[in-house]
Amino acid sequence: MTDDRDHPLDDLAMYALGTLAEAERPRIDAHLVACDECMQRLADYRGVVGVLPLALPVTPPPAAAWRTIQAVARSRRPRARRWQTALYAARWPAVTAALLAVVTWNIVLQRELAWYAHGPQVEALSRRPGRMVILKGAAVPAANARMFIAADGGHGHLAITGLTRLPKGRTYQVWFIRMQGPPIVGGAFDVDSRGRAWVSIDPPTKLEEVREVTVTEEPLPGSAAPTGATLLDGRLERVTGR
Amino acid sequence: MGRAAAGDTPADPDLVRRMRQGDESALELLYNRYGGLVYSLAMRIVGDPELAREVLQDTFLRSWDGRATYDPQRGRVAWWLMGIARNGAVDLLRSRTHQARLRERERLSADVPTNEKDTAEAFGLRRDVMHALRALPTAQRAAIELAYYSGMTQTEIARVLNEPLGTVKSRMREALDRLRGLLASSLERDVEGGRQS
Repeated sequence: MTDDRDHPLDDLAMYALGTLAEAERPRIDAHLVACDECMQRLADYRGVVGVLPLALPVTPPPAAAWRTIQAVARSRRPRARRWQTALYAARWPAVTAALLAVVTWNIVLQRELAWYAHGPQVEALSRRPGRMVILKGAAVPAANARMFIAADGGHGHLAITGLTRLPKGRTYQVWFIRMQGPPIVGGAFDVDSRGRAWVSIDPPTKLEEVREVTVTEEPLPGSAAPTGATLLDGRLERVTGR
Repeated sequence: MGRAAAGDTPADPDLVRRMRQGDESALELLYNRYGGLVYSLAMRIVGDPELAREVLQDTFLRSWDGRATYDPQRGRVAWWLMGIARNGAVDLLRSRTHQARLRERERLSADVPTNEKDTAEAFGLRRDVMHALRALPTAQRAAIELAYYSGMTQTEIARVLNEPLGTVKSRMREALDRLRGLLASSLERDVEGGRQS
């Protein structure tokens, strides 16, 4: 250290002991910024002052003090920060779960919309059908279906219940079995979780040649002729209106 | 005074880090470690069990509230706690009546406690500090004890000791220089112990 007169050593001692007058502090702080020696001396003094309480006879604190500290500290826990920490940790699982929920909801909604989109058309057709075919379960007794074909014969709908959902790679196919000639494909479908389906049908131009309507299970994307057992069948009947 | 990690015993800075994460058990460990010392310091300054308890509670709650602002560069965790306790106790002392403060001055002892129980319990740095304080001339010891424990300003201390201000300031500096020399190796060991944590 240089000449002690260059350094406010007395004041540093007071500073470390906490008794330096408030008005004196800015002057000492300014000196400390520029003087490494005094900064080190102050650190040394602080180290000495910091251990002074060790010389005191230790008095055990009252037992109730800790309970008070604990209760108050608990009430001062940073709640927002705990929430932030929890949210931060759960952010990716939460995002994944949200995406899955949205995708699942969208699929269900699309199915419901597709299902209910047929409703009004089937209802309208069922009121004034050109032809109606009632299909009964052949291999599946619990299953049945109703086919309504418009009076102009250009389109139709098939409402099915009681079939089971098919595994991947399989489909139900609707067949128009003609009196002569090979069967004509009327449509393909799968049922929902409740065994239901509403299917748009493309009837053949000459309905009078059709003997019956059947439903079989076929491999995707569908067969040119029935290969599976007949699950539903019904005869075509002329309806004159209600 | 700085606690190093030994086995499962976490070091002081680790406890503060855990406190920053809201770990109350870390605060409890710190309290178990330094609660007695803080309470003793508070008792020494305010001289009243109820007020000392107030200082004790306030010190640890301040450390809990200010755990994010603790700077290891400015000193050991224990010094940080003692600083909070000392300032809190002095603030409390200054807010008390003049009579109470007079009583505090009268309580100022000329001797460092030397009862057998204390001596038997003394170990390591604690023992060294007690020996070093006893080695100081009475006037120097009285000066730093007044400064540290009474919360008086330098002018007030000069008046109480009936000495010129310059003499009092020199005496305090000489006392700290002497203690610095006497405790140099002990403090170095303590710091090295803390670095191992």
